Amino acid sequence: MGGILDSLNINQTLVAQVFNFVILLIFLRIVVYPHIVRVLDERQNYIENSVTAAEEERKQAEDLRQQYLAEMQKSKDEARDIIQKASKAGEEQAREIIEAAKAESNRIKESALEDINREKEKAVAELREQVATLSILVASKIVSEKITADIQRGMIDEFIKEAGDLPC
Amino acid sequence: MSAAAEGHEAQSQDILAKVHHDLNVWGFPDEPIDLGFGPVFLKTIVMTWIVMVLVIIFTVSATRNMQLKRPGKLQLMVEEMFLFLRGLAVENLGTKKANSLMFLVFSLFIYLLFSNLLGLVPTMMSPTADVNTTLGMSLSVFILAQVLGLYYKGPSYFKHFVQPFVFFLPINIVEELSKPLTHGFRIFGNIYAGEVLIAVLLGLIPITATIFGGFIASVVWLSFSIFVGFVQAFIFTMLTIVYISMSSAESH
Repeated sequence: MGGILDSLNINQTLVAQVFNFVILLIFLRIVVYPHIVRVLDERQNYIENSVTAAEEERKQAEDLRQQYLAEMQKSKDEARDIIQKASKAGEEQAREIIEAAKAESNRIKESALEDINREKEKAVAELREQVATLSILVASKIVSEKITADIQRGMIDEFIKEAGDLPC
Repeated sequence: MSAAAEGHEAQSQDILAKVHHDLNVWGFPDEPIDLGFGPVFLKTIVMTWIVMVLVIIFTVSATRNMQLKRPGKLQLMVEEMFLFLRGLAVENLGTKKANSLMFLVFSLFIYLLFSNLLGLVPTMMSPTADVNTTLGMSLSVFILAQVLGLYYKGPSYFKHFVQPFVFFLPINIVEELSKPLTHGFRIFGNIYAGEVLIAVLLGLIPITATIFGGFIASVVWLSFSIFVGFVQAFIFTMLTIVYISMSSAESH
């Protein structure tokens, strides 16, 4: 056994090497290893938290988007309502204006017709008066002069002429 | 004829011995010396101390002022190494056992990595190019695996020695004992062969200088040795995880 070990160059160096490695192992375990594990754990936690936070924020952003979309839709509807109302009111107003204008024109027309009628009546009354005056005149002429047929004819013609000249 | 061959052999051995002698600028003795508790290889011990100091400097400077959001380069290296190893350990051992053994796996990997790479520095030697280091560590892992198996499974741990039948006991024992041997000798063989070839290629420079461009082969081999160093450190760590998981798995 000893001969085999000697021929393989195995001696107490083996023990010393194991001892050395155990020392290194203990040193690394105490000084180095906890830092590595700590940093890796921290990084893992950090990444997990970041992912969770990102997910949360994405959800919030999605909610906000939905909210904004809803509000936009609402304001669009409102705007359409307002425009519809306004156009309805405008039409109403236009109709009112037109009706008012029609009424006004009717009123003006009626008053003009009234004026015309009044003038006409006035003219007729005047004509009557003149006819009466003329009749009186004719009568007086008949009375004062001898009336011939020719004279009568002439008088009637004159009367008609006079009457035709009247503005009617 | 045979005298000429012997002379040639002696000459080539002289070249290797000469290279080793030239590389030994620190004057380490080739023979084991007695430091008070038995014969030891002084060079291996000193190189191990250098590796320990380098590992401590590297890890401490990487973990000092660790940043959460903007990790530095060293910190990132250590973190990535740690996460990679933890992924392996969790895969094979389960989260709980992996977390309790992670410091061992991490220390083992970084120590072996630095050990393997130290041999590539001129005049230095890998502690893992000495069979004492690797066998010591593989035996420690072996003992640890047995202890953890007993711890996690209780007396029923011994049942797997007599499975599937009682007369498989010797085969199982041999299998169990072959694990630390192959575990230790695998990394030793790779790293020691790498170091020997480095010395050989250096010794061959006078011959190859006019044919193969001299040091090019040496440079190629050095760069390959970096790769080998990583791979062997990884394999040793991986096998450690696997042995522990085999001995401590609930369903065996």
